[in-house]
Amino acid sequence: MKLSENPIFLTHKRLVHRGGVLAAVVIATLIGFSLLLGLFSSLSELHQSRWGFRSPAETGKIFYGWVIGVEIFMLVLLGANRVTRALQEDRKAGLWDSNRLTPLKPEQIVAGYWLAPALREFYMAVVLAGFGLLVVLFSHLPITLWLGTQTLIFSTALFCGLLGILFGMAAQKSSGALIFLAMFFFIPFSFVAPSRVLTNFLFPIYGIGNLFQIGEVERDWARMPELFGQPMPAILISLGLQAIIGWFIWRVLVRKTANPFQPLLLRWEAISIFSIMVFAQHALIWKVRTDWFRADVSEQLLAITHGGTLLVGLALLLLASRPPEQIRVEAMRLGLKSISDIFQRSSVSLALALGGVAAMAMTVQFSMHLPENFSGLIVTVVNLLMIFLTFTLLLEFCRLRHQRRALGFVALWLFVLVVVPLILGAVFASEEAAQVCLLAPGFLALTSVSAEKLPALHLANLVHFAVVVFLFIDWRRQWKKLLARAA
Amino acid sequence: MSSPALVIEHLRVDFPDVIAVNDLTLTMDAGDVCGLIGPNGAGKTTTMRAISGLQEFTRGSVRVSGHELASEPDELKRRLGFMPDFCPTYDQLTTSEFLEHFARAFDVPNRSKRIEECLELTWLTDKRDALCEGLSRGMKQRLVLAKTLLPNPQVLLLDEPASGLDPLGRIELRKILLQLRESGKAVLISSHILTELSGFCNKAAIMERGELVKFGTIADLGQQMSQRKMSVKWRADGDKAVELLKNSGAKNLETSAIGATFDFDGGTEGLDELLKTLVTQGVRVAEWRGVGDDLEQIFLQSGAKELM
Repeated sequence: MKLSENPIFLTHKRLVHRGGVLAAVVIATLIGFSLLLGLFSSLSELHQSRWGFRSPAETGKIFYGWVIGVEIFMLVLLGANRVTRALQEDRKAGLWDSNRLTPLKPEQIVAGYWLAPALREFYMAVVLAGFGLLVVLFSHLPITLWLGTQTLIFSTALFCGLLGILFGMAAQKSSGALIFLAMFFFIPFSFVAPSRVLTNFLFPIYGIGNLFQIGEVERDWARMPELFGQPMPAILISLGLQAIIGWFIWRVLVRKTANPFQPLLLRWEAISIFSIMVFAQHALIWKVRTDWFRADVSEQLLAITHGGTLLVGLALLLLASRPPEQIRVEAMRLGLKSISDIFQRSSVSLALALGGVAAMAMTVQFSMHLPENFSGLIVTVVNLLMIFLTFTLLLEFCRLRHQRRALGFVALWLFVLVVVPLILGAVFASEEAAQVCLLAPGFLALTSVSAEKLPALHLANLVHFAVVVFLFIDWRRQWKKLLARAA
Repeated sequence: MSSPALVIEHLRVDFPDVIAVNDLTLTMDAGDVCGLIGPNGAGKTTTMRAISGLQEFTRGSVRVSGHELASEPDELKRRLGFMPDFCPTYDQLTTSEFLEHFARAFDVPNRSKRIEECLELTWLTDKRDALCEGLSRGMKQRLVLAKTLLPNPQVLLLDEPASGLDPLGRIELRKILLQLRESGKAVLISSHILTELSGFCNKAAIMERGELVKFGTIADLGQQMSQRKMSVKWRADGDKAVELLKNSGAKNLETSAIGATFDFDGGTEGLDELLKTLVTQGVRVAEWRGVGDDLEQIFLQSGAKELM
């Protein structure tokens, strides 16, 4: 079925047009026109400019930067939010189910929600892109700047649109404010070494910055990023990553539309996404100690990589973990009785798999470039595994034990395991107490920790292992109870 | 021989801590209108959602005109229409645009003509260009029914179609349902208001706590009823009539000058015999009928306790 015949697309297009698009287009035109006039004014008074522009190209970059800034805000941020809201509203009204009961293919339903709700923002972006082209031409900037940045903006809009649908499917309410807060928290980390952090490519901050080549100011922005030490155009890395991760998200959306009772992520999808992201990040920081970075930046990059690995891993575990009730129903349907069958289906085995992937990536990195810190590697890998296992065991245990109140109890236990040791460490000025924090051993081991402090980190890992064993025993007991009920 | 319109076998739906539907089996042929009756929380809506594919079930199978839900969901979608107990509409679309959306989705041939037919069937022709948000609850119910009828499904699942309707809306809905019955559709209609269903259901399925406690034709279920509440009126010889009623085993007898009501547990044949006795003994019977409709009596004797 063509898009022009897709009822979801046509209806949402109709709804967008009914809400009015002319005003939005006029606003975009006025913004573009103002910036174009500003450019002309600056070019005509180049040498007396109070902004200190030295050339038409420099002036053009600033004005084009404004154009794409507004474009990104409109198309990427507002557009993705619009997609999420459209889906959430339709779900709430029961229209999502109504559409699912038609013979429309899941791909058609997803495509309709992906492309139509943000049409107003798309029209605005197209108008701004037109003004951007004029700015580039009049200021004698290379046309490749326009082509490259526009490609990245539109590809990112499509990628974020998919994320928007995913969010709309997973969450009941729009949480735009929460996402903004998270972004503001993580953005500073991604600017430690812009060409070495994966998020700068997935959301192509580096690709766009690189095209502007403001390298004189900050060297890292001008250089070509490297994957496993091989230079590669930033735009290609961004498009490649967006295409691969986007393909996985598309698969998830189509599958969930066809059968909403499946988990958001299948095991192999979670492992694939995690592997791609972890290995890509390690490829970006390849030769991190031997390259031109200062030692402290190298350590920060390793810590950022470790933190990112944890964050992505935990998010994937959360998305891929199935509610115990679903597993119980499946156990009843398939006649499963043993705890090993449950183990295979629970997210605990997935946590082990993700831990294995992360350990592999880190081992390759350390054995090639940081052989002197092998003890640090062991502490970090074990800690990472303990974090993944603790999280999944806690999540499933609390879901089994506390059901609807599970998330609150997960938060409580994580607070006890992560924050309480830090508070105790601060109150009693005790480094040892702080090291018991679940997150501490890995991050500490990646910095230049002295050899005499390593035993303390091993001990902390041992404490965490004891917690995992304790959780596993209770997890097993809860599952046995549930299986007995199913029988 | 053609397949039954709807076959549900050993359907079971599990929710955390509760079996929402347990071992439900029922069959409907073309032209059957089956009232799915039960108190709130009996599992009526869950059953309908499971049949339509919106609710995952633990065990069992659902077949519509021979097509299995598990293996041929697309075939089933074309043959089954589900009208939920609320009215999902795109508020900013007109009624004809709303129907056009679903006509495209179902790939309905001669779209415009079919939309007009469905608007006419649901008496919404004059509301063709009205926005959905401006429609009353009853009109929205009819619009969603029109949407459900668009692909001309063989089986209709109507979940509480009259909830929230005013008396006029209920009368209109009743007329539409009678038309559907005449056109040979198999209709499974859930309600906890028995008067909504009486008069046009030929089958009844009574649910209680996820279990199907009774299922069959109204006539068969009526035969199985152990006790009926009856009303009799006479023109003369009231004393003799009361005496005969007492002697024939009538219980809870309440008499007036012109008639009486009583409970009788002698079955249909016993009732026929009692009437014959009254007439042969010279009682001039002016009226002889059951109190409450058949469905109500069947329900009251089904074991399902609470009807809200």
